Amino acid sequence: MDDEIIDDVFLREFLLGKVNDEERGRIEDLFLIDPQAKERVLGVEQDLIEDYLEGTLTTADGARFVARYAQTPEQRRRLRITKSIKDWALAEAASSDPAKTSGRSGFLAWFGFRPAFVLPLAATAIIVIVVGAVWLSRRAEHSAIEKELAQLNAPSSFRDGPVSLELSPVTVRGGESQAPLNTRASENGVELRLLWIQKERYPGYQATIRRVNERQSFSVRTLQPESDGKAIRLKLPAHFLTRGMYQIKLSAVGSGSSVEEYQFMVGN
Amino acid sequence: MSRDFAIAQESFDEILAWFNPDRERAAAMYVQLRHDLAKTFVWRQCSDPEGMTDEVFDRVARRIREVRPTYKGDPRLYFRAVANNLVKENFKKIKTQIALEDADLTKQQVSQAEAEDADVEECLQACLEELSFDKRELILAYYAKEKQAKIDHRRELAQRFGISVETLRVRTHRICLSLEQCIERCLPAYEQRK
Repeated sequence: MDDEIIDDVFLREFLLGKVNDEERGRIEDLFLIDPQAKERVLGVEQDLIEDYLEGTLTTADGARFVARYAQTPEQRRRLRITKSIKDWALAEAASSDPAKTSGRSGFLAWFGFRPAFVLPLAATAIIVIVVGAVWLSRRAEHSAIEKELAQLNAPSSFRDGPVSLELSPVTVRGGESQAPLNTRASENGVELRLLWIQKERYPGYQATIRRVNERQSFSVRTLQPESDGKAIRLKLPAHFLTRGMYQIKLSAVGSGSSVEEYQFMVGN
Repeated sequence: MSRDFAIAQESFDEILAWFNPDRERAAAMYVQLRHDLAKTFVWRQCSDPEGMTDEVFDRVARRIREVRPTYKGDPRLYFRAVANNLVKENFKKIKTQIALEDADLTKQQVSQAEAEDADVEECLQACLEELSFDKRELILAYYAKEKQAKIDHRRELAQRFGISVETLRVRTHRICLSLEQCIERCLPAYEQRK
């Protein structure tokens, strides 16, 4: 990308529809085929969105922005999502800003000079460290399981093997009442066949699986459909599954709205 | 322009083959191009970017057998040319749709948006938990300041990481994108509970 000709100011003009057809065409071409140019355009767009949310655009630019980025309910929702991320970061930063908590730091300094408080503070610190270590260990365990799931479900590892259970989406009559799955009989893991009932077919899918009533979920991001696109296979290691009800959300990569939900019971 | 979108399997396969002989790479390019074309429709004030993207693929699918053997260059640029023609054709209709959309921004929509804000908050918290510590801290630091103050702050931040402000922006954008996608996936679950 020619940095001298296409700078951030020019890209901002482009995003607000202030450039001529020829220039617009040139940037759009670069956006589609040049990964560096794409990242640059998206970065400038990110700045523009931020400026709009902070109310620093001029009235005219604000109107141009709204005409492009806040037309549809989906676009307005995306803006609200971006705003929520910014608001969260600002609130977190404000709560840990020393300038805003100077009263509290004085209080802490006072604590530091009182030996009677040293023991409780040390005990609190130890608790924090232990809790932190447990949290880190759980995160590591979570990452290891996701890695294993990714390896099991890598496109290259798929062969036409026997299916342990075929699942219909819960929106289909009977889809929520499947026979319990017995993992004892399948030491090498289970293979689920998730039926995709939507008309649209997609080249890639991702699944999120969790045990019902548990918050922790695991994602598999590289699932491919069978050749006719009517089902997606998902492999799970046997040790991953314990007795209980499981929920799977399957979504099409690149389509925010195409999601199906499945449930199954592990019986042993 | 919302309508059922279905390309015949044969044409779809041919489009993928045109993108890349490796089907996996071609599929990734397909997904990316859909996303990118929708983006260009947004920039051109089209009220239904997804529907228009469907239409572009539909049109290319109908002509791929005649176009592919003779077309020289990156196929994605052919898709852009089709998209460009589509925008021109629909310009009048699109303007009408925008006018109706604006007029329809009722109080009910505003209250729906407010209700959704609460769901976005819940989903944001859930999605933040899925982020690694480093990524979470980076987002936190990047957005810690607003307006004029953020410019100096981000410059310092980039220096601290030993990267350019540009690279810092790209990194945070990628994280934000994954966070936004996570929230988009999470929201329907909250809406269903109501």
